[in-house]
This record gives sequence, structure tokens and C-alpha cells, in this order.
Amino acid sequence: MMKKNRKKQSQSNFSKLSIFQPNKFKFKKKCPLSGKGAPKINYKNIRLLKKYVTENGKILPSRITSVSQKKQRELSTSIKRARNLGLI
Amino acid sequence: MNLYEHTIVARQDTTQNQINQLKEKYTKIIEKFDGNILKTEDWGLMQLSYIIKNNKKGNFIHFKLEGDGKMINELEKNEKIDKNLLRYLTVKVKKFDLEENFFNKTDKHDQLNNDEKK
Repeated sequence: MMKKNRKKQSQSNFSKLSIFQPNKFKFKKKCPLSGKGAPKINYKNIRLLKKYVTENGKILPSRITSVSQKKQRELSTSIKRARNLGLI
Repeated sequence: MNLYEHTIVARQDTTQNQINQLKEKYTKIIEKFDGNILKTEDWGLMQLSYIIKNNKKGNFIHFKLEGDGKMINELEKNEKIDKNLLRYLTVKVKKFDLEENFFNKTDKHDQLNNDEKK
């Protein structure tokens, strides 16, 4: 079992970045932004945007943060707007 | 009548009355093109995450406008030539949430003169 796991590990080159995904077990994660009480994505809401950006300001891929595709598009546009204003 | 969120970033060393002059100047332009301002937010001096025209901090002013495209073109044309503005950003929005303010000052002083201005 361990050998198969290691093979899967080496494939995803973002493995060291996958802070959001416990690599012990792979379960279907729900998107944290599209639930009912989810925070609204807004280019002014930097506290939320900072969660989906690496330390040097790159946008985390949705494969890592398990965000749905629709929310990931909104997220990337609002991050780019916040960058333009110098907020992020 | 479209709804716009317009943010401008003024330079670091603009004094308070210069900021007020900026506000008056742009409100006059907006009134001239029969748009109206629903809310102005003064986010104050904030740290920029990178240096823009060798300014580390910027004075942010945020308008919530209602008007048509011609007004926005005129507004942005003036902002291009304005010396003490670093950046401006206009976002067309479906609807506003007016009371949501992410950058409101915690200290009482700023809150006070915000209410007087409104």
C-alpha cells in the first residue's frame, strides 16, 4: 500500500504545497466557498484572499485548495484587482 | 443607470485638505454627468504591498457611484492627468452591500468625521 501511495505523491509536483490536503487519505473535499454560510468573494476582502495566495503572492491552484471552478474564477479576478490596487 | 465601485489611491504625502479637494473635484465631475454618489469611504493611509512610483503607503478613497459609461470615461480621463493619484480602479457591480466596510478604522476619531461627512 505504501509503494502505491509514494508513486501518487511524486506525481503532483505541488505536494509540498498541499497544506490544505492531508495526504494520509484522499477524501472528496467540499468547496469552502460555495456553501450556504460561505464568505463572499470580494476584491476588498483581503483577509479571505490572503488564504488562497502563497507567501510570495502567487494564486494557489484549485487542485490544492479544492475550490470549485466557478469560485476559483471569481477568486482569481478579485485577487488580480486587489493586486492592481496594491492591497495584496 | 449602472452601479460602479470606484477606488482611487492618492500619494503618500497628500494632506487631509488635499484629499477633501480631490473628493470635491470628482464629486463635481460626477454631478455634472448626472450620476450620484451613494457612499464615499475613506480607507485612509494604508501600506501598499509593493512600491508604486516610489510610494510605500497610499491614501485610499472609495466611491460607490450610480451613473452611465460617459461619466466613468470622463472621470478616468481626469484621473489620468491628475498628478497626485497613483492608481484608480472602476468595477461595474450588480448590487451594493453598503454597510459592509472591510477597512473601517477601529479608532473612534476617524469614525466621527466619517459620519459628519456623510
